[in-house]
Amino acid sequence: MINPDLLALYTTLKMAALTTVILLLIGTPLAWFLAKMQSRFKVIIEAIVALPLVLPPTVLGFYLLIAFSPQYLPGELWQQATGQQLAFSFSAIVIGSVLYSMPFVVQPLQKAFEQLGEPLLEAGAMLGAGPMDRFFNIVLPITKASFITAASLGFAHTVGEFGVILMIGGNIPGETRVLSIALFDHVESFDYAKAHILAISLLAGSMVLLSAIYLLNRPSKKIVQRGRNDS
Amino acid sequence: MSNNSWFKIFVLILTLSWSGSALSSSEKPLRIAVASNFTPVLKKLLIEFHQQTNIATQIISGATGVLFLQIKHGAPFDIFIAADSTRPLQLEQQNLVLTNSRKTYARGQLALLSMNSAAQLNDLKKVPQRFAIANPNTAPYGKAAKQTLAHLNLWSRYQSKLIQGINVNQTFAQIRSQAVNSGLVANSQLVLNNLSGAIIPLSYHQPIAQQLVIIKSSKNINEAKRLSDYLLSAAVQKKIIRFGYAKFTDGVLNITKAGS
Amino acid sequence: MTLNLNFKINLNPFNLSIKHELSLQGITGIFGHSGSGKSTLLRAIAGLERNINGSIILDDIFLIDSNDNTFVKAEQRHIGLVFQDTRLFPHLNVLDNLKFAAKRCQNRRLDFNEVINLTELGSLLHKHVDELSGGQKQRVSLARAILTEPKLLLLDEPLSALDRQAKINLLRLMLKVQRELQLPMLYVSHSLDELQQVCDKLLVLSKGKVIGYGGIHHMIHQLNYSQNETSADDFIHQQTSLSLPIKTLNNGHGLAVLSLSSSLSECVDIYLPALGEKSVQISEKTNEQTLRCFILASDISISLSEPLNSSIVNHLSAEISSVNIKGNNVLITAKCNEQEFFVNISIFSQQKLALRVGQSVYLQFKAGAVRTYLY
Repeated sequence: MINPDLLALYTTLKMAALTTVILLLIGTPLAWFLAKMQSRFKVIIEAIVALPLVLPPTVLGFYLLIAFSPQYLPGELWQQATGQQLAFSFSAIVIGSVLYSMPFVVQPLQKAFEQLGEPLLEAGAMLGAGPMDRFFNIVLPITKASFITAASLGFAHTVGEFGVILMIGGNIPGETRVLSIALFDHVESFDYAKAHILAISLLAGSMVLLSAIYLLNRPSKKIVQRGRNDS
Repeated sequence: MSNNSWFKIFVLILTLSWSGSALSSSEKPLRIAVASNFTPVLKKLLIEFHQQTNIATQIISGATGVLFLQIKHGAPFDIFIAADSTRPLQLEQQNLVLTNSRKTYARGQLALLSMNSAAQLNDLKKVPQRFAIANPNTAPYGKAAKQTLAHLNLWSRYQSKLIQGINVNQTFAQIRSQAVNSGLVANSQLVLNNLSGAIIPLSYHQPIAQQLVIIKSSKNINEAKRLSDYLLSAAVQKKIIRFGYAKFTDGVLNITKAGS
Repeated sequence: MTLNLNFKINLNPFNLSIKHELSLQGITGIFGHSGSGKSTLLRAIAGLERNINGSIILDDIFLIDSNDNTFVKAEQRHIGLVFQDTRLFPHLNVLDNLKFAAKRCQNRRLDFNEVINLTELGSLLHKHVDELSGGQKQRVSLARAILTEPKLLLLDEPLSALDRQAKINLLRLMLKVQRELQLPMLYVSHSLDELQQVCDKLLVLSKGKVIGYGGIHHMIHQLNYSQNETSADDFIHQQTSLSLPIKTLNNGHGLAVLSLSSSLSECVDIYLPALGEKSVQISEKTNEQTLRCFILASDISISLSEPLNSSIVNHLSAEISSVNIKGNNVLITAKCNEQEFFVNISIFSQQKLALRVGQSVYLQFKAGAVRTYLY
């Protein structure tokens, strides 16, 4: 039988990767919308996106648990659509993570889009580039660093997530039992040796991952030089 | 890296993720939701259970309160081994458990733990600067701790000195890490960690009945029943007591009522 | 090419409100002080302004018509725009910036390398855009706009961030491009000197309204009368603006000679410092070499008798056609061979010489007073 901690690692990576992909797919248009929006509702949407930063994870988790359970509408709709219960499923912890890590992806992207502004997009339009063309060939390459930051923050934050998953996951091995919860379990059951190993590998893994991202994301020589010329 | 290759990576991750989740949902072992302070004991007991029955099990360990909430909202567990009797009773009242499946499998034993010296019962009379107990309102061992202090007419003097843990595990960790010098914890915790403390007499507080229930929606009811029977068998009960739980002197029926 | 403007845009201090039909040939200048709405006008034509009330029609195509919600997107208008701040893509080098434009052009009538030669970018292709000087950037920006093969090219203050030499080079390039590609241009600037050098026509905007539209020299002369000196920024040098055929680039004595000819009378020569080949423009109509130049009204003086014994080389016989008195300054307009000259003198001199309309006078100015921006 597979080592339960390795299984938890696999579940964690799978959850974090999927969450990151979904967050980029949802977060990019949302961030774009927020960056371009001038309505007074903007503040309200921004506040909602930032809510997971202030809300205690277990509180968020509690309300998600209620929402996901088959007794209430969202959970019921899911069950009708997929034939499976939403709460305590892998899908549930991915959805929970998406909501919980949303600000970590949306905020850097929104800031990057705001900083980019209209000038280069207008230049693109004058050269015959339509909206999608402008996004993929101007916005994306210029804000690449912010996308990498957003993705790595979203991924790292999801890996470290505990409270929400504790509530909505149900700690089911291979399904919703992730590293942070496995670690907590070891501590709770006085298995400190296993807890230390898990903590150290989690720490080392995160260090390697984050360093790799920052290394990839390091400004090239050319850009450093450019910065000097600008000043 | 070009946009195209990023896109390919996305697709790859998506594919892997869904295929992975499809694989892992095929097997259905007996899912045991167990209060985290009983988890280490259960793990040891399950070795023999598995040898005898060949039933595959999956342990889902957590705080009794959280597990209770999850079961209430449809968590796919088969059997719930709680650290108290209140939550199993509530589940029973909500018609979520198998009829007559609620059983007391262990009776909690409170102990005084001090990291400075070998604790004596008399030490309780010297009120320390800080004293750790579990939350009396939510944790069964906390409730018993409060009753113990009240029984000794010490509650009012202790009240301003208390550090309250979410559950008895947190209280134990606070003392063990010497953040707090002493407190009331579960005796089973001391046994598991080879520590010694002073046993609190059972007459100082209402019994801490730890109960289990079989979840009504379970698809493994027979296996769950076998586990329940196994845990309640005389041989296993002896083992549980050896892990630091109290003996059944007053009879099961009586204790069951005490929970309500 | 005809551009029909009939629209309103709400700007903060005033509304940009234009109802005018422009016939676009060669380079049409748009002049106005900062805040006059000239850049907004350009953006409206480009398709970068959305909140427009009215219509813009380019050669019978409605680019915008708020009545039936027609709005052709900027990327579909086939109009090029050179921005003041170049807006080159920082993630691409020069070549890729140019390719960005070429790839999205459907006609492909222009040869990529030809445009690079025309704009003299051959040696810069693999440079990063931030390694370029301001003038080089603006050349790339111009080349990039040309490569989309627009029907109309808009230039929004393309020179304002450049030094004088770079300005001269780019103005020459604009003329060259215009001549070789026959591309109509609308050129916005707050510098009359630059506009005077390259434009065929001039549209003058003030506070969101068109206050004049016509031939470049005529419009500049019109502006001489509308002089107001409310602020230093708004000051326009009163001047005589000319395009004259070149007789000699260098007469051997360090002077070039232009001829101020007219069908009625004999040819009058105008002397100025010797010219290099580069300052010459070829007139489209007559195919002869011409020079754009101007003489500041303050550089011309008036004499009642012919100043034969003077070091000042230019003296023209002229007849005063108007006398405009504003405070202590007098603007005299005098005609020589049908050409109007503008002279600025003090009220003291005007009274001393008793100058009046119809009087015959001599205008005199030094060779050095005949100025050309490109020189």
